[in-house]
Amino acid sequence: MIKILDFFDYAKSESLWMAHLCTGCCSLEMAATMGPRYDWERYGYLPTPTPRQADVLMITGLVSKKILPALLRTYAQMPEPKYIVALGACSFDGGPYNESLSVIKNPTEILPADVFVAGCPPKPEAIIAGLEEIKKKIKAGIPSAASQGGLWKEMEF
Amino acid sequence: MNKIRNILEDFDCEYIENYKRVWLKTKLSSKDDLLNVAQKLKIEGLSSLSTVSPTDFLEENIMEINYFFEDLDTKRNLWLKVDLPRDEKLCEIESLTPLFPSANWHEREAFSMFGVRFLNHPDLRDIIKSKDFEGVYPFRLDFDWETHEKDIVNNMNKIVSSFKKEQEENEVDLDTDSSETILNWGPTHPASGPIRLRVHCDGEDIINIDPDIGYVWRALEHLVTKKDFIGAIVSVERLCFMDNINSMVGYAMAVEEIAGVEITPFAKWMRVLLGEVARISSHFMGLGGFFNNMGLHTLAMWNMDTREFFLDFLESYSGARIATASVEPGGVRYGLDMTMFDELQKALDKFDTTIDEVEAIFVNNPTMKLRANNVGVLSADEIYKYGLSGIVARASGVKTDIRIDEPYAAYDELDLKYITQENGSAKDRFVMIFEELKHSVDIIKQAKAHIQKAVDNKEMDPTKDHLVKVPKKLPKGEAISRVEWARGEVLMHLVTQEKATSPYRLKMRAPSFNHTMMLNHLLKGQTLSDIPLIFGSLYVCQGDLDR
Amino acid sequence: MSDIFFSAFIFPGLLYALVWTVGLYWFFRKFMAALHKRVGPSFNGIAGSYQTLFDLSKLLTKESITPVGVNPYLFSMMPLLALIFAILPSAFIPWMDGFVVIDTKFGLLALVVLIGIEPFLLFLTGFGSNNKYSFLGGIRILTQSISMETTFLLAALSPAVLFSTMHLGTIVEQSSWLSLLILFPGFILYFISLLGLLEQPPFNIPDAEQEIVNGFYTEYSGTNYFLLQVAKFAEFMAIFAGASTLFLGAYKGLFFDSYFFFFTKMLLIAIVMMTIRAATPRITLKQMLIFSWKYMVPLALLNLAWVFFAKSIWFMGL
Repeated sequence: MIKILDFFDYAKSESLWMAHLCTGCCSLEMAATMGPRYDWERYGYLPTPTPRQADVLMITGLVSKKILPALLRTYAQMPEPKYIVALGACSFDGGPYNESLSVIKNPTEILPADVFVAGCPPKPEAIIAGLEEIKKKIKAGIPSAASQGGLWKEMEF
Repeated sequence: MNKIRNILEDFDCEYIENYKRVWLKTKLSSKDDLLNVAQKLKIEGLSSLSTVSPTDFLEENIMEINYFFEDLDTKRNLWLKVDLPRDEKLCEIESLTPLFPSANWHEREAFSMFGVRFLNHPDLRDIIKSKDFEGVYPFRLDFDWETHEKDIVNNMNKIVSSFKKEQEENEVDLDTDSSETILNWGPTHPASGPIRLRVHCDGEDIINIDPDIGYVWRALEHLVTKKDFIGAIVSVERLCFMDNINSMVGYAMAVEEIAGVEITPFAKWMRVLLGEVARISSHFMGLGGFFNNMGLHTLAMWNMDTREFFLDFLESYSGARIATASVEPGGVRYGLDMTMFDELQKALDKFDTTIDEVEAIFVNNPTMKLRANNVGVLSADEIYKYGLSGIVARASGVKTDIRIDEPYAAYDELDLKYITQENGSAKDRFVMIFEELKHSVDIIKQAKAHIQKAVDNKEMDPTKDHLVKVPKKLPKGEAISRVEWARGEVLMHLVTQEKATSPYRLKMRAPSFNHTMMLNHLLKGQTLSDIPLIFGSLYVCQGDLDR
Repeated sequence: MSDIFFSAFIFPGLLYALVWTVGLYWFFRKFMAALHKRVGPSFNGIAGSYQTLFDLSKLLTKESITPVGVNPYLFSMMPLLALIFAILPSAFIPWMDGFVVIDTKFGLLALVVLIGIEPFLLFLTGFGSNNKYSFLGGIRILTQSISMETTFLLAALSPAVLFSTMHLGTIVEQSSWLSLLILFPGFILYFISLLGLLEQPPFNIPDAEQEIVNGFYTEYSGTNYFLLQVAKFAEFMAIFAGASTLFLGAYKGLFFDSYFFFFTKMLLIAIVMMTIRAATPRITLKQMLIFSWKYMVPLALLNLAWVFFAKSIWFMGL
C-alpha cells in the first residue's frame, strides 16, 4: 500500500503543470522556455489554460497593485497541492521598479514562493533549474511555502 | 509648412518656430483659441493627434499641455503648447476628442495622471491607474506618494472592494429574459495577457467591449524622474521587452539633443543593427501570437527556434538575451568584437533557410485566409482619424514609416522602402508583419556589410568609437524624438531643468495605447471567436499599453 | 460471469481504455513535439514514455474542487457517465476475428448512437459548472455535434447500404479492396465529421482555449478532470475503431489477419489527425455551421447515392 502511495507522490513531483497568468515581462522568457531550444516539456512541464488543472503558479516578474487580487484569486482556484515559483528580481523586491508607485515590492511576503529564480528576466535554463528545485522539494515531502503562511491568508481578494 | 504657419499667425501665438526638419513648434497664448486652431489644422490635413502630454511646472504654477499633431501623408507635424493654471479647480481645457477621436484615451490618461479636466469629453473616466488613486493625481509633483504607500493595506482593500462592487453590479441592468451577459476576458485568460476586456455579449455576439487596462502599470514616466540620465534607460527599455532597443534609441536621441552631442557614425550604424535585431525578435513573437490566437502553436514554435539565434547575437554583444541596456545617451554601450558577426551570420542563415517554409505553410494558409480575410478591417480614413501607426497603419495602405519620414540613426543612408498592404484586415496585418520581417533582415544585411566594410577600411574603430561622453548635468531644455518601433510610432517628449541630473518629465507615447482604443470599434457586432484574432492582429503589447 | 468481468474491466473495457489513454496521450505529445521542432517528453522513462502515466496518476490523486453554486451530484456524476459512455462502443467492435463482446445485428446503430450521446454528456458538464465560459463551451459542443453528427451518421451508413447489413462482423468480413474504393468518399466524409465530433482542429471550437478558456473543462480539476481526459481518449478510440471497422476492414491485414493491423489503422488515422492539427487554425462557429450544412450534408447524401449506384453495378456485374 505504501509503495502505491509513494508512486503517486512521485508522479506528482514529475508532472508539474503551469497556471497561465502573465503578470509581467518574465512571461516572455517563459515562452522561450516552451520553445524548441529549451523545450521544458522534456521534463514534463506543461502549460494549462485554467488554474483548476494547474500545480504550479508562476509569478512572472512584477506584480502591480491592480493584478495582485487576480494573482491571489488564481492561486486560490488551484487544487492542492500547489506550489509557487517567483521569477525575476521584481517578484523578490520590485527589482527595477522598486521605486515605482504602483508595483508591489514584496509579492512573496504576501504569497510566499517555494523557489526564487534570479535574473531580469531569468534565462530559460534558470527557469528550468528552478522548476527542478520544486521537484526535489516535492520528493522530499516539504509542504509548500504558501500553505505555511503569508499575508495572503489575512487579505481579502 | 507655410500653410500651417499662416493658419497659426491668425491666432495669438507667443512664438512660431521651425523645429527639426518636419516639425513646427508653437505656443498659444490663450487656451480659448485651441478649438478654433484645431479645427483649421484638421481642415489643412493635420488629421492625427499623436498624443497629449501635460508637464507640471510646480514653481511657475502652470500646467503646460503639449499637443502633437501629425499629417501622415505630407509628413508635416506640429507641436502645440498651451498653458493652464495649475490649480486643480481651474485646470481645465476644451477636449479635442470630438474633432480628433485619437485624443480620447490620451486625454483620459492626462486626466487620471495630472488631473487636467477636458470639457466636453464624451467619456472622461480614470484609465490605467488603480482604484486606490481615485481622486488623486499621482504624476502631479506635489503628490506625496510616500504617505500614500504607507497605507498599503487600505489601498489594496479599495482595489478589491471596487472590483467586487463592479462584478456585483455588472449585470444588474441587463434584461433577465435575454441571453445577454458580461464576460471578463482576462487577466487570467490563456490569450489575453494582463488586460481585462469587459465583454458585453448576447450569446456569441458582442454588443460592446470596454477594455480595462493598467494591470502592468509601472508608472515608468514617473520612475525615470527618480533616476539619472543613464539609469533611466533601465526604465525606458522596459517599455516593452519584445523590442526594447528602439525605445532606448528614442530616449537616447532626446537626451543627446538637449546635451548637444553628436554621436559617431559607428554608433549610428550599431543602433540600426541592434534595433533591427530587436524588431525581428518582436515580429517573430507577433507572428506566432497571431496563429496562437487561432489555436495553432506550430508557427510560434518554429519562430521561437529562429528567434533564439538572433537573441544569441544580442547575448554575445551585451551579455543579456533580452534586457540588454545596450543603447545609452552618447552611442551604444559596448564596443563590437568583429567575431560577434559570425553569430549574426548564423542567425541570418537560419532565417534564410526557414522562411520559405513558413511562407508556404502559414502565410498562404487557406484556413487562415478564410478566418481573417474580412475581419477587423480598418480603412485608411480610420488610420488618420485614430492616429494609428506602424504595422496597423501600413496594412491599410497608409505610407508612414518614421525610418523614412524622419530618419534617425543611420537610416538615411540605407536603402529603405515603404511596405504596405491594401485592405487593412487582420490577415493583411499578419502578412504585413511577415513582409516587414523580411525587410528588417534586408536592413540588417545592409548595415552589417556597411560596418564590415568601414572597419576593414579603418574608417571605424569598433572598440573605441562606440560612445561619446555626455555630460552628467544637462542644461534646461526640451526635446522630442520619434522612432519607428516594432509596433508603431514611439514619441518621447523629454523636459529637463537647469543643471538637471535626472529627467524632469518624460512622456512616452506608445502605439499599443491607440491600437487598444480601437478594440470596441472593431469588435462591436462580431462574435466571441473574433476577440483573440483581432486582438492578436493589432499586435498589442501590454507593457507599452500601460507603461 | 468471468467473461463479462474480463471484457468490462480488462479488454476491451476499462484497463484497455486506460492503457490506450496513456499510450495515445504520449504519442500525441511526442508527435506534436516533433512537428513543433521540439523533443517532447524525454527524461521520464524511455523517450519520456512514463510521462503521461505520471500526468494521469497525478490528476487522479489531486484535489478535486467542486465550485460553490453548482449541483454537486450533476457536477461529479457527469465525468463518470461520460467515461462509461465513451467506453461502451468498444463492446460492439470486432477487435479480432470472432472476438466481439456484444454480437448484435444492429452493431452499427449501437456504435453511432453511443458515440452520439457523448457530446450531450459533455454539454451537461459545461451546463453544470456554473461558469459562463463552461456554459458557452457546452452550447458550442451541442451546436457542433448536432451539425456534425448528421454527416457522421450518413457517412457511417454507407457500408451498411453497400453490404445490406448493420452487423459489424459481416461488414468486416465482406470488405475487400473494391469495397474500400467504393467507400472511400464515405471515409473522407466520416473522417471530417470525426474531426468535428472529437473537437479537433479546425473544429476545436468547443474547447477553444483562446476564446472561451477551456470550454466545458474549465471548472474541472483533479479526479474529475482525469475521468474526462480518459473519456476523451476513449472516445478517440471508439471513433477511430469505428472508422477502421466500417471502412478499412478492421483486423484484416496484408498476409494474415490480426489485431496488429487494427491498431495500425487506428494509429494512421491518429497521425493524419495530428498533422492536420499542427497546420490548421481554428474556424469560427458560424463557418463550421455553414461548412457542415451547406457542403457536408449534401455531399453525404450524394455519397449515399453513389454507394447505391455502385452497389447496383456490383450486383449486375456479379
